Amino acid sequence: MSHRSERRGIHVDQSELLCTKGCGFYGNAAWQGLCSKCWREEYQQTRHKQIQEDHALAERLQKEEEAAYANNHQGATQPQPAIAPFSKFEERKTKEKSRKVNTMTKFFTPSAKTPPKKESVPGEALSTPSPSVSRKPLETDRTTQEFIDFLKTLKPGREIFKQCRAFTESMAYKRDLGADELSECVQDFYQNLSDRLHTHFKGSSERVESVMDEVERYMMTRLYEEVFCPETTDDEKKDLAIQKRIRALHWVTIEMLCVPVDEEIPEVSDNVVKAITDVIEMDSKRVPRDKLTCITRCSKHIFNAINTTKKEAASADDFLPTLIYIVLKANPPRLQSNIQYITRFCNPSRLMSGEDGYYFTNLCCAVAFIEKLDGQSLNLSVEEFDLYMSGQASPQRPQAVPSPACSAAFSQMNDSLDLLTGLGVRQERVMEGARRLESDLIDWRDGVEHKVQDVLERFPLEMHPPASPTASSAIDADNVENDHLPSPLQPQLFAG
Amino acid sequence: MAAGGGAGNKTYSFKVVLLGEGCVGKTSLVLRYCENKFNDKHITTLQASFLTKKLNITGKRVNLAIWDTAGQERFHALGPIYYRDSNGAILVYDITDEDSFQKVKNWVKELRKMLGNEICLCIVGNKVDLEKERHVSVEEAEGYAESVGAKHYHTSAKLNKGIEELFLDLCKRMMETAQAEERAKGNGASQSTTSRRGVQIVDDDPQAATAAGGCCSSA
Repeated sequence: MSHRSERRGIHVDQSELLCTKGCGFYGNAAWQGLCSKCWREEYQQTRHKQIQEDHALAERLQKEEEAAYANNHQGATQPQPAIAPFSKFEERKTKEKSRKVNTMTKFFTPSAKTPPKKESVPGEALSTPSPSVSRKPLETDRTTQEFIDFLKTLKPGREIFKQCRAFTESMAYKRDLGADELSECVQDFYQNLSDRLHTHFKGSSERVESVMDEVERYMMTRLYEEVFCPETTDDEKKDLAIQKRIRALHWVTIEMLCVPVDEEIPEVSDNVVKAITDVIEMDSKRVPRDKLTCITRCSKHIFNAINTTKKEAASADDFLPTLIYIVLKANPPRLQSNIQYITRFCNPSRLMSGEDGYYFTNLCCAVAFIEKLDGQSLNLSVEEFDLYMSGQASPQRPQAVPSPACSAAFSQMNDSLDLLTGLGVRQERVMEGARRLESDLIDWRDGVEHKVQDVLERFPLEMHPPASPTASSAIDADNVENDHLPSPLQPQLFAG
Repeated sequence: MAAGGGAGNKTYSFKVVLLGEGCVGKTSLVLRYCENKFNDKHITTLQASFLTKKLNITGKRVNLAIWDTAGQERFHALGPIYYRDSNGAILVYDITDEDSFQKVKNWVKELRKMLGNEICLCIVGNKVDLEKERHVSVEEAEGYAESVGAKHYHTSAKLNKGIEELFLDLCKRMMETAQAEERAKGNGASQSTTSRRGVQIVDDDPQAATAAGGCCSSA
């Protein structure tokens, strides 16, 4: 500071030293040319404004988070393994708050800007920080411990650890650099270290590779927060773009992509589901190499699926379309960010040669294809493609098996439907039988009645009146044998 | 990744891409080379899209990684993603299919434009067992290959003909290129990898090294 004012004193006009507000006091460069009094006023104002803004931002974030929480509570069907369990959620929330405090202080530094981080990520905001924030202390500590244990077996282990730690710490001061510069730094470090290791191990590349893997694991676990999807890039925008794009392409079928996979076979659909899970899981890993491993696992499942269907070794002609199909079905979270992160910070020897590198390249191809996809590449006319894209029409599906996850349910439903139809037929038959029985019964009754009638007619019923008189009132009238009876006794008078 | 090291006991790692239309027999070619299989009904290999082969050429170890690419026309635009950083390219056509040869010509043009002369090109006429149905003349193919600085080979994956030679020859050429590159760079004893992103600044003392010229027998 003193140095500065000295220099000013030498060649600057007296008037320029005065407060720029023109209050007559001397100004100070540190206060943007204002005098102490004017600066305090100015500063208070902006500070007040910023505090207000910050409050508003904090409130909005809180609301968004609550909304996201509510959404998540309802829509638990989202196929995202990355979602932290609810117990962790609370923890994360408090962490989020402490982060807000951090940003608050950040606002007061001159170059502060509002973090655009989660303004435009409604669905993603939830899963974005969770794996990193909640796991951070635990995981980094464990990785460090593992790293140290690993290095103990090596002679220059201590030296390697010291260098890695120093470098990792120095990265914290480079936060303002662009992603490419950061990547450059890390890659240079890898390069230097592996060169030295090559000299040390006398060119045994396998051992160098194994050390480099551990170095990468240690460094990237620590640097993940700072360098994954940094604010200085438009990775996030690209993430959203590809996510939207894949969503818009939901109607693409296996047949259009000529995927040599038959999901009717249970084993195949099982592999397809596993491949989808793996490619989604990639997002939850922190170390580039672990992410690559997820892609490789996904690819192996794809090969299994193709092999089961085609019964021959899968070539790239089969593999790429299937991978594209898997990516379309999975819509992996933060796809572009992950690809960029791996490209920037993965150990180059893993990425450029090697099997992992091959599958990663194919994933990049799949993404590039999906981005540029048009009607022609699906053997559709431009009109058809536009119609499907705008959602005005949907392609006719030969069978209702759009996704492997549903296909099992669909086949079950079809089975049930078949069963129901069978039941219906049988019931119809029973009803038929019942009706026949009814009519038979009616016929039988008629027949019986008829016979009875017949019999009755043939043998008419002769009624023999009962022998004893029944009605005492008609004793005299109807009495046929009255004649045989002696004449009724007449009352006689006896005169005695 | 180019040469996996300088002189002496270092191992070379080469990446080779397979380009060509679908159905020209790319897959059969590599399967034959790496596993000596053709149309085997008994599957032991899951996939034929990424295969590796370890070789020993004139006392030097070579790791060959062969990258198959999707040959369908609609994936043509993805080529650059596949072939960047590769040391060699094998461009396969079917001798009974004129179109597939045209495709090869397109690939050559593109590769030369994008990668210059750093990449070793092999043009391969596959299925010579179907000589009777040949539609691409030998003279035309070989003449073309020479005109673009590529080598031409005749192979048959079915009869296992010409494949071994093709890969061996390619490896030797790639080694020469790698060695020439090292010399140009100075003795890059520690230069285990070439630049990942175009320009790499070697910060030690590259000037002195360049002046020294080709000195491979370094520490």
